[in-house]
Amino acid sequence: MSQLKNATRLSVASRAIAAVLGGYALSATATAALSVGLPMSRMDAVITASVLSFLIYSVAVIWAFACATTARAWAGIAIPTLLCGALVWLLGPAS
Amino acid sequence: MTVLLALALGYTGLTCLALGMKRHHQELLGRKPTEARLRLFKTIGWLLLLATTAACLMLWPLGLALSMVPVLVTLVGLPLIFLLPYQPTLARHLAWALPLVAGGLAVAGLG
Amino acid sequence: MNGSLRQSMAWLHTWSGLLLGWLLVAVFVTGTSAYYREEISLWMEPELHQSTASDDTMDLAWQTLGRIAPEARSWDISLPDARNPAVQLRWQPAGEEQPRQGGGRNRGEQAWMDAGSGEVLTPRETRGGHFLYRFHFELYGVPRLWARWLICVATMFMLVAIISGVITHKKIFKDFFTFRPGKGQRSWLDAHNASAVLALPFHFMITYSGLLLFMVMLMPWGIDAAYDGDRRAFFDEAFPRSTEAPGPAGEPADMVAIGPLAAATAARFERPVSRIEVQHPNRENARIRISVEQDVAISGRRRGGSPTQVFQGSSGDLLETIEPREAPTPLMGKVYNVMTNLHLVRFADPLVRLLFFFSGLAGSAMVATGMLLWVSKRTQQLRRQQPGAALKLVNGLNMASITGLLAAIGAYFAANRVLPATLAERSSWEIRVFFLVWLTSLVHGLLRPHRRGWIEQLAVITVLWLALPFLDMVTTDSHLFSAAAWRLGALAGFDLICLLLGALWGYALWRVAKPKPDKRKPARAREPALAEGNA
Repeated sequence: MSQLKNATRLSVASRAIAAVLGGYALSATATAALSVGLPMSRMDAVITASVLSFLIYSVAVIWAFACATTARAWAGIAIPTLLCGALVWLLGPAS
Repeated sequence: MTVLLALALGYTGLTCLALGMKRHHQELLGRKPTEARLRLFKTIGWLLLLATTAACLMLWPLGLALSMVPVLVTLVGLPLIFLLPYQPTLARHLAWALPLVAGGLAVAGLG
Repeated sequence: MNGSLRQSMAWLHTWSGLLLGWLLVAVFVTGTSAYYREEISLWMEPELHQSTASDDTMDLAWQTLGRIAPEARSWDISLPDARNPAVQLRWQPAGEEQPRQGGGRNRGEQAWMDAGSGEVLTPRETRGGHFLYRFHFELYGVPRLWARWLICVATMFMLVAIISGVITHKKIFKDFFTFRPGKGQRSWLDAHNASAVLALPFHFMITYSGLLLFMVMLMPWGIDAAYDGDRRAFFDEAFPRSTEAPGPAGEPADMVAIGPLAAATAARFERPVSRIEVQHPNRENARIRISVEQDVAISGRRRGGSPTQVFQGSSGDLLETIEPREAPTPLMGKVYNVMTNLHLVRFADPLVRLLFFFSGLAGSAMVATGMLLWVSKRTQQLRRQQPGAALKLVNGLNMASITGLLAAIGAYFAANRVLPATLAERSSWEIRVFFLVWLTSLVHGLLRPHRRGWIEQLAVITVLWLALPFLDMVTTDSHLFSAAAWRLGALAGFDLICLLLGALWGYALWRVAKPKPDKRKPARAREPALAEGNA
């Protein structure tokens, strides 16, 4: 591992950002989307979504480092994030 | 005292599971096992772990009892792992002695 | 990076583990101690040890509060239990309530009372087990919010390390019982694997629940989305509380004796009374709330409250009987409750606590072996070269985070016995001793060569921990050879655990100091291949 090439270093840094920041963005939007989207009372939905959020985060981190290419790692996190964001925007706060 | 019985049954159960694996079987008993024997030990091992669960259910309410089973199994499993290479004979003898002692204590405690 | 899934996961496991491993060891070790924070606090306040509960304890508490806080707006009496023999008295002084710094209710004044004589006790000033408990999730001297975030990030890394570790592990079931001693790196790997895999349910529970406990801080986005940013509304819905504000104090009036009321409550719930709260004591509108302790169901709500009876203070009439009922909880709410209840060991059974304590020790060992494995692997790769600065740094930090922390904790306990009871800022001095010893061990670990450093630090902690029970004999009347220590299992237990752990450190010292017979084995050549995927 000590002879990491420059390209690899860049890839590691990029994936780390995707994992840490992208992963958080994904779990945050997914939590928000589930909170407004799950067919339960809003408190139950919030609790269910929040309890699952850390699982979503872990999966995102694993994904970021497991993917064959950096581009796919980013896409796999960015696209669901955007979808969840759109869902929150569409459904809005369930009142 | 039931907790000692639960721990002892867990220990013996894990030892049987180890005996159900080729490498540890040879390590502990010094001879090559047959497939049937391995399967037998595995079955006994799982049955003993079920007995551990039953002992936990006697000690605690359902939810807590089920949560405590992995905790107990971990706590007896760690010493077992380190006994296997250093003291295989001791590990083997503990497997029958511990439940007897703990069972005796449990009976004495009840009676 | 572009290799197989397993290789990239091994990389992730190694570096996420190392990066925050030092912090995680500290979190694990202090967290393990937190299972016994009440017992540690008690041990650190020997002035409370001779207190013995009697039938008069409640009346004495009643009289004592009437003497020292007759004008208070409220009283709060915690009666002796298996974990503490003294009575804790708290009261809100008359006047406007001062909001506490950082929000929350002001807890007012507090005092300890001897349960047998009613005398007010003044224990030595100490933070006790509470210091280690708080350190476990908010460190010390760091802004609280930052510290909590930092620890949560470390916990998240731990969760990732657990998952990637499972993916990395090639033969998780085949190697379940495998430990191959005397093989350097290979043995560390086995020890790390064994303690990690076997205790996986515990590790996963403790890590995930650690995050859940800070769920609202870490992941407020679900609340914000569903409640349109109104977090208060969520809390009111999730944790409904009676918001009945106490009215103004009435005219002075005598209260009835507490004994018969407490006896009625104890009989009603068939449990001993644990707590008595009084609103507007010695006024005509006094309200007496008497509670008993009740275990939460494992999936039960955290703030369910205890079974309680409320009495009118001047007449002794029963006003209300409150029995906590379990609210219907969705599946994930139950998961939340189970996990957090387990993390915080909200069960009265001392056996459960002890078993969790040992699991915590095993967890600490798991993180520690992982970090030792990192150094072991890189030391073997050196092949007789001098270790570089990075390796020395990691090793020094390992030493500080493992033996150094244990030395600091031992010194913290010892300082409690050695520092004069009347020293100004005494509790701060105990904490200063803790950090000074920790810092010293870091400097020592960075300066001394690898093996010598470990031997010296292990020797120090062995002596220190084994000495604690003896220090107890010299400085207190509640040591292992006294009846008081055994009457309160906590005190004898503390000394016994010190002896047990001291013996454990001594064993580790013996193993490290023992000359190694087979230092360069030919078999070493194939080890990197074996361990490649893992370290």
